[in-house]
Amino acid sequence: MKTGTHNPVIDSDHKHERFTRLLLESEPVILRAILVIIPNRADAREIMQETAVALWRQFDSYNPDRPFLNWAMGFSRIETRRFIARQKRRAQLSEQAIEVLEQEMSGSPTFISGIEHHLACCLGKLSDNNRRLIKGYYHDNRNVEWLAEHHGRTIEAIYKAIQRIRRDLQTCIERQLKEEQA
Amino acid sequence: MTMPPDWDSLIQKHLDGQTNEEEAAELSEQIVTNADIRSDYLRAAQLHSALNNELLAFEKEQGSTASSTPAHLEHTVPSTPTRKQVTPSLIAALLAGLLGAGMAWAISAPKAEVRALHVADGTFDTLPAGPIQRGFSSQFGIWSGDPLEIAEQTNGNRRLRFMETGNVKGDPNGGASACNAFQFIDLTSLRDQLQAGDANAQHILKLSVRFERTSAPIDEAFPKLRADCHIYLFDTEPSAIVDGWPDVLNDVVAVAKKRARLTSGQTSGRVRASCLLEPEATVALITLNVSVGMETTTPVKLGNFFADDVKLTLTSRPDLPVRVVKLNPGK
Repeated sequence: MKTGTHNPVIDSDHKHERFTRLLLESEPVILRAILVIIPNRADAREIMQETAVALWRQFDSYNPDRPFLNWAMGFSRIETRRFIARQKRRAQLSEQAIEVLEQEMSGSPTFISGIEHHLACCLGKLSDNNRRLIKGYYHDNRNVEWLAEHHGRTIEAIYKAIQRIRRDLQTCIERQLKEEQA
Repeated sequence: MTMPPDWDSLIQKHLDGQTNEEEAAELSEQIVTNADIRSDYLRAAQLHSALNNELLAFEKEQGSTASSTPAHLEHTVPSTPTRKQVTPSLIAALLAGLLGAGMAWAISAPKAEVRALHVADGTFDTLPAGPIQRGFSSQFGIWSGDPLEIAEQTNGNRRLRFMETGNVKGDPNGGASACNAFQFIDLTSLRDQLQAGDANAQHILKLSVRFERTSAPIDEAFPKLRADCHIYLFDTEPSAIVDGWPDVLNDVVAVAKKRARLTSGQTSGRVRASCLLEPEATVALITLNVSVGMETTTPVKLGNFFADDVKLTLTSRPDLPVRVVKLNPGK
């Protein structure tokens, strides 16, 4: 609603603040969804940034009665496709595969919920060495070359170890989910 | 004879960017046509995406467990600059680009810090099993509210159970559509610490909790119940908030809310509400509630609805540019 005492500085501040609040709240969920389609973290962050730029540009058209996240996810899907069209650094999934994954993601929250519940516990069950490795890869953002050098292993062995640890974590989460449902 | 691909290995390779065009195309084909492989891919990729966030939370939990000090700031976790700076640097770039300010912020965005703040009995494990204090206590660090109890599971874990909806002010004609749990948190010492630091920093409070609903007679009448968590920030005394409740909500400095809707047998995962910690805020009121989603003055028994593992964190981001960059009113 417009008022007679329109102040562009205050209006602008409010708009920035509202946008920041909404974006901060939604960013982890959007980034997670992007990472499912574009697993490379640097690429996913790039898409997240492009998404936020697009969201900011279109923020005036956002209807606050509707969930911001749903609105924002539409932009992230567009930016994901734009990214795939313009970059050729890595092999990506096909458009059709992306579409079915996006559909399925919106319909099956069980495993995501399981991850939220049990991942910390399952990480706690890893050996110190494996936890250091997975922490280095994901949390400290180390590349496999660095990890290979510091763990005294080959690059191929590091990849295999990371993949095996992910499988172990997945098995652990699924087991916990089953026990919960029993 | 060509061996069929090991799809699980191919999925794992793809997550690490090791697939070539041909392999990615093969995997795509399987994702489209084979529901099992699609499901396998989704699970593996969702875990991969969660690991980016969850490791930070895991580190923090390990740290908090080790600390037994009741200090207001329990633990500090410096975040990795690359991941955590997405939003501040992005907003810097946005506003700098749109408003004509320099681009330096976007390039050298500062590190963010995540700290766990103390919520008294946030896990409920140290409270005795039985009823929680009825009414609205104005003391800091105490759970109180509508009919609530601490319930113990067979494995010894204790959690908060929402017994029935009520009117926390005891007004017999007042609404009783929700069952509320309240706790006041004193922010004055935190505010003093923050004011002594970077004056331009922005601080974000995040409240998180897990809700769970198990089967009970109410399930048929109310197949879905709402569970909310709120943070309300005030610059007044808790007693004034209690006395003025709920009209005092008009004077709130900041508020954050997050909702989950649960059917019987469902758990919510972590429900998170976040808001900016305004510098004038001296008190945070955190609330957890379950509501039936309709106006009623008659208390409704809620059956088996639980909350557990309440956490409050503070993320500090120096120079979040949304605060700094302003439109020039002269232009």
